Amino acid sequence: MHQIGAKVQRGERLDRGEALELYLHAPTSLLGRLSDGIRARKHPDGLVTYIIDRNVNYTNVCVARCNFCAFYRPVGSSEGYVLGFEEIFRKIDETIALGGGQLLVQGGHNPDLPLEWYEDLFKSIKQRYPAFRLHALSPPEVIHLSRMSRLPVPQVIDRLIAAGLDSIPGGGAEILVDRVRKLLNCYSKASADEWLGVMRAAHHAGLRTTATMMYGTVETMEERVEHLFRLRELQDETGGFTAFITWSYQPEHTELGGGEATGIDYLRTLALARIVLDNFDNLQASWVTQGGKVGQLSLAFGANDMGSVMIEENVVRAAGASYCMDEIEIVRNIENAGFTPKRRNMHYELLGDPIFRERDVPRMLTLAVARADGDASRPPEIARYTARSAAEKKARLTGH
Amino acid sequence: MAAASPDLLSIAMMADEIRRRMHGTRTTFVRVFEVHVETPLVALPNGLAAGELRIIGRPASLDAAVTAVRAAAAPRTGVPLTGFAMNDLERLAGTTGETLAGICAALRDAGLNGVSELPVDAVSDATAATRTARGAGLSVMRLTVQAPDDARIPTLVLARQLQAAAGGFKAFAPLSRTMSVSAPSTGYDDVKHVALARMLVDNVASIQVDWALYGPKLAQVALTVGADDVDNVAAVDPGTLGTRRSPIEEIRGNIRAAALDPFERNGLFESLPS
Ligand code: SF4
Repeated sequence: MHQIGAKVQRGERLDRGEALELYLHAPTSLLGRLSDGIRARKHPDGLVTYIIDRNVNYTNVCVARCNFCAFYRPVGSSEGYVLGFEEIFRKIDETIALGGGQLLVQGGHNPDLPLEWYEDLFKSIKQRYPAFRLHALSPPEVIHLSRMSRLPVPQVIDRLIAAGLDSIPGGGAEILVDRVRKLLNCYSKASADEWLGVMRAAHHAGLRTTATMMYGTVETMEERVEHLFRLRELQDETGGFTAFITWSYQPEHTELGGGEATGIDYLRTLALARIVLDNFDNLQASWVTQGGKVGQLSLAFGANDMGSVMIEENVVRAAGASYCMDEIEIVRNIENAGFTPKRRNMHYELLGDPIFRERDVPRMLTLAVARADGDASRPPEIARYTARSAAEKKARLTGH
Repeated sequence: MAAASPDLLSIAMMADEIRRRMHGTRTTFVRVFEVHVETPLVALPNGLAAGELRIIGRPASLDAAVTAVRAAAAPRTGVPLTGFAMNDLERLAGTTGETLAGICAALRDAGLNGVSELPVDAVSDATAATRTARGAGLSVMRLTVQAPDDARIPTLVLARQLQAAAGGFKAFAPLSRTMSVSAPSTGYDDVKHVALARMLVDNVASIQVDWALYGPKLAQVALTVGADDVDNVAAVDPGTLGTRRSPIEEIRGNIRAAALDPFERNGLFESLPS
């Protein structure tokens, strides 16, 4: 243990066996010390960043049916929704009012939204808000579009870039080991190689992306370590990842059920990621799943970024977690931990000091949702795209 | 000064070392069934597995307090029955003209075993109050803190002094029972405060954290930075959580995931069979 710790302190790389040994046997305080040392080496200025953006989940209709997901509704469900372009524009206006410059756009694999719908959406956003950034469509969504449009992934990415895509979020990675993916019923949406393949293609196309890990379902510790190494290897190859974010599986209202990994598990996993992912510049804290307190403690376990001042969140909330932090609260937590807060964009370029110190912004003590409960309205533009599912075809005929 | 130092990990490690010298990996917890003083117990819920029945809330009158105690004592479960914060009993004495000793005796006669907590920052003469309650046959074992304490040190000193003067306190819960909504304490604040409590209040055996109030995540972290006792684990499985683990599995799982060993106790700090 001592030797592995010394290796980390010298800035040397760990192999899989050493990483596993560290996770399984190192005291939590040692993991904290080692990961905090790496954070301090990579970010000696004492800055902790955050971004003001909004999670927009454009549809909850999904054919993938991952068993850990509490967010999706099957095709034809009365609780299924698709957001209209106008609704999304309103969300952008609200985001800009709060100082945000980006949407994180992710959603279900809805068979009735073809590639053209995405292209039109992105183009119309860029037309209205030219400077606004679109961090959109995780690898499984890109694969879904590739399958629906019968176009290879690189071509789908090119078309999305032409329409306005700026970067790709690292969602849908879960654990990048196919045994686990099969057990979670998410192998068919994207195998480990397919997920990595989309990221490779995106990096080759000049996009930066993030990487994630959802742990705490059915994976072994070896598989958690394997996930980190697969990311490290791709990052060696392309250098396209800007940041890594890990969070614990949220079990409520899911088919898989079970319990949630603990706060200590989170801090240890985060620290291990900081140690293994020596070629990643940034690690985000997941206060959305861990709450503000353990979220802030992440800053002592390798994180150098508080993630997003989230204006809206639907996915984690569906699975039981409902933490909220506005910019004032995020900044207070960063400063309280002894760091200097700075706003950033997706590329980790510094944008400046907290917005609320420059001008009045409304306080946000609860997160917005995709749609008000009971709002079953159908967006007008959806009729322009060919329906594929029987349920949608019928709905168009009957009007609901 | 440690309280202002941002080197969280050093403070945490020092406190953990002290905790391990005192308790090793032994970590105790108590399942508590709370009854509000204004809604006296009618019947115990099905599936109750409590180590302590606790009457919470501020009693409006001595009658109300006695009624709540009688109702909670009636099922004769053998589970220790505690109730009230010492400052609320003092206030009751002030408003009713009864003496604190008289109030404590009445509550004991109604079936109360102990005063639930003594908030060190809210009782004017805590040593005298403790002696009075104990003199009337009630146990007083748990020191708490009522309000967030900006300086974060005085309450620790008060706890230490009170133990030196009166003795007999088994646990001190240093994190305040009330929180600011707009600026709650942070994770760093809480960790440092628990760690400092372990270092400074070395004459009280256990540093305690409230499971329900602070949540499993922070409470579990607290156990690795000086705390060794968990208060207020749910005594009834809410059953609303679908396939989630029961409270007892949850607490044991959290303690084990922190590389510690769980031991259940009751409200009188007596070990329960596992
Ligand atoms: S995780 Fe994504 S792909 Fe899987 S069911 Fe949920 S919405 Fe669909």
